[in-house]
Amino acid sequence: MDRGEQRLSKVTAKNQLQGKEIKKDYLDEAVHGYNTRTAMEEAARCVLCYDAPCSKGCPADTKPADFIRSIRFRNFKGAAATIREANALGGCCAKVCPYDRLCEEACSRTGIDRPIQIGKLQAFAVDMERKFNMKILEAKKADKEKVACIGSGPASLSCASKLAREGYQVTIFEALDKPGGVLTYGIIPSRLPQDVVDFDIEKVKELGVEFVFNKKVGQDITLTELKEQGFKAFFIGTGLWKSREIDIPGINLKGVRNAIGFLKEARSGKGETKVEGNVIVIGGGDVAMDCAATAKLLGAERVTIVYRRTIEEAPADIAEIEYVQSLGISIITKFAPQEILGDDGKVAGLIARGTDDFSELKLKADTIVFAIGQEAEDMKKIAPIELNENGTIACDIAKGFTNIEGIFAAGDIVNGGKTVVEAVAQGKSVAESIMNYLSKKEGVN
Amino acid sequence: MAHKADLSIDYLGVKCENPFFLSSSPVGSCYDMVKKAYEAGWGGVFFKTVGIFIADECSPRFDNNAKEATPWIGFKNMEQISDKPLEDNLQAMYRLKRDYPDKIMVASIMGSNDEEWTELAKLVTQTGADLIECNFSCPQMTSHAMGSDVGQSPDLVRQYSKAVSSATDLPVIAKMTPNLGNMEEPAIAAIEGGAAGISAINTIKSITNIDLEFKTAMPVVNGKSSISGYSGAAAKPIGLRFIAQMKQHPLLKNVQMSGIGGIETWRDALEYILVGSHNVQVTTAVMQYGYRIVSDMISGLSYYMEEEGFDKVEDMVGLALPNIIPAEELQRNFKIIVDIDHDLCIGCGRCYISCFDAAHQAINWDFENRRPTVNDECVGCHLCLNVCPVLNCITPGKILWKEDWKITPDEINFKTRYE
Repeated sequence: MDRGEQRLSKVTAKNQLQGKEIKKDYLDEAVHGYNTRTAMEEAARCVLCYDAPCSKGCPADTKPADFIRSIRFRNFKGAAATIREANALGGCCAKVCPYDRLCEEACSRTGIDRPIQIGKLQAFAVDMERKFNMKILEAKKADKEKVACIGSGPASLSCASKLAREGYQVTIFEALDKPGGVLTYGIIPSRLPQDVVDFDIEKVKELGVEFVFNKKVGQDITLTELKEQGFKAFFIGTGLWKSREIDIPGINLKGVRNAIGFLKEARSGKGETKVEGNVIVIGGGDVAMDCAATAKLLGAERVTIVYRRTIEEAPADIAEIEYVQSLGISIITKFAPQEILGDDGKVAGLIARGTDDFSELKLKADTIVFAIGQEAEDMKKIAPIELNENGTIACDIAKGFTNIEGIFAAGDIVNGGKTVVEAVAQGKSVAESIMNYLSKKEGVN
Repeated sequence: MAHKADLSIDYLGVKCENPFFLSSSPVGSCYDMVKKAYEAGWGGVFFKTVGIFIADECSPRFDNNAKEATPWIGFKNMEQISDKPLEDNLQAMYRLKRDYPDKIMVASIMGSNDEEWTELAKLVTQTGADLIECNFSCPQMTSHAMGSDVGQSPDLVRQYSKAVSSATDLPVIAKMTPNLGNMEEPAIAAIEGGAAGISAINTIKSITNIDLEFKTAMPVVNGKSSISGYSGAAAKPIGLRFIAQMKQHPLLKNVQMSGIGGIETWRDALEYILVGSHNVQVTTAVMQYGYRIVSDMISGLSYYMEEEGFDKVEDMVGLALPNIIPAEELQRNFKIIVDIDHDLCIGCGRCYISCFDAAHQAINWDFENRRPTVNDECVGCHLCLNVCPVLNCITPGKILWKEDWKITPDEINFKTRYE
């Protein structure tokens, strides 16, 4: 064992103590789950608050106080039911929610020592749902109007689940060949294993929601055609799939990648994709962290993150930052890329300039991944709806009404790129708007 | 968690929406409290005991027992019967029954002589209560003509049960004290006196902790303290035992029982049902957590019944009784050797220590790899399973027959697994 390995093994040991054993395989989950005994131990730490602040801290109203209490009183199935009833993507949210900024930040136990690990308890309850093969949600007879949901990411799945439960005939149109959107293509499996995504989606399918793949609305099929097929309302939850780019010398060299393409390729490769040499990731969000971890776990020799602000300002979850650091990835802050150096048409290095306008950085690179944000694709292709300056859809976030009657929207395509749980929350509340709209319309007819 | 099966059960001729009741205690001592409890989902209440005697309470009056970091393993209280005027309590019972006719109101009463018992029985009958429970069992009364001193005397129990049942048309329940060796005797006496049902157990006489500064029991009441009633999770094994033993007695096997003692979860409640209770009563867990715990009891029991295919709570009553047998009848000609999973093992060595110091020196310790292995001395006691901190690391393994035995191992049912 050389010194570097020794140091890493110390880091590993320390993280193990905190329940964060570092896994070294791309497809392995980074965090160990609870079993019945360890879940009970954690639930026993819960102080069982009155008017619990954690429950108020969840955008999707997943009621952590209720499901933790159920676990504590050995009603594991009840805990699973609480979660599934409130949050169609309870399994995924358990893995990717920024707990430290939501329910866990609100946790009263923090006043004693540290918050309850709500995410891990939620994952445990969803595991129980799977273990007991529970069928928690029931759909009313599907005799109401046809609704088309465009995109199969968190907002659409959440909206479709709610509508199907109330008896609407819902079809999800997905441009790619698998459902899940960002859940399936945009997050590293060590954070969000595919089977967790598939299980949540299976629960949506069980409600009778139909999925149509490889159909990009506005390209492979038009809204007019869908109207002709009898769809009475449309929900746009396409997310943001265009990578933001910057115009610097060398941007077109071979080896310059965008984050979405990079993650999608790795995820589709099921761990077989090879990454070699020196990789630089530009950005400071969760997507940047996922790209860096992906590169490292798929074999890159050295991975470096270059970010133009400070760690404190980075939008990435602190747990994600700690995770990439534990993998030996360094994060260089307050540097912005200035030029990409090439050799024979391929990336050879990066020159970045300090935001202090003095410091200079020159790094060797074989691959440079830009993870500096995503933008909306051209939504006008779907319908002539009103857009914001940045291309997102202009509408009320909670209600989801666009300027065109019968067309609704939610999730990243409206809020400009937030969390999965917020997309779930918005998808759910916009489903209410759609139901109101359709029932009023029915009254008029 | 909205899951809800039909949990209704007929108890002494009264149809109850579920078997979850508050026991006669501070948790059901006024209109607003019981109203909130009903709305949280409790099927009924044994209202705080009323008497001609009005209690004058000490301060402080509670203590709890902890083990390591877990408080409230057991709980001690020094409260007596109601400290409110009798008229107020009768009014509250009347209004609760009027406003919540589908919920079950059990009036709990305590007198000190035939006249008081008779009068109380008449008064509470007029409130519209569904049932009457005679409190023969509070262990901290300031009068020795009342409480567990009465419950320990089968003759007094018979006499007062008779006084009460002669004064009312309502079914009468006798609440037993566990502060004796044999509960069957006072229980039979109560039935002989006219009681229709038995509740058990009231609290256990206890000293939870001795204060090292004042050198008295806790809680310290101006430098002194008293022996008084112990309840909570630690009391469950004792309550289950008394219910099972009564239900196995030929003279009591058809008497409906109400189980009390350490019930916090649906599982605790179900355990009382399986040893023969028609319903359960809860106080300590409500004192610690509030009325809200009933929602997980309702949901958890519903899920269990669905999983096991039970349609009615009634069908589960007493199912464990045939399987609880005298020690001399247990089969003793096999031993189940344990398996230790070396991948799950974390190398703590607790099994080694316990096996050597408290069992049969049947575990060898590999110092280099920090792993235990079982040797030929294993008698199948499973102490190691009990101390192992890792779930499913040590499990029951091979069955060894002590002598030539005819049946095949498939016919052995065993379970020593710890969640």
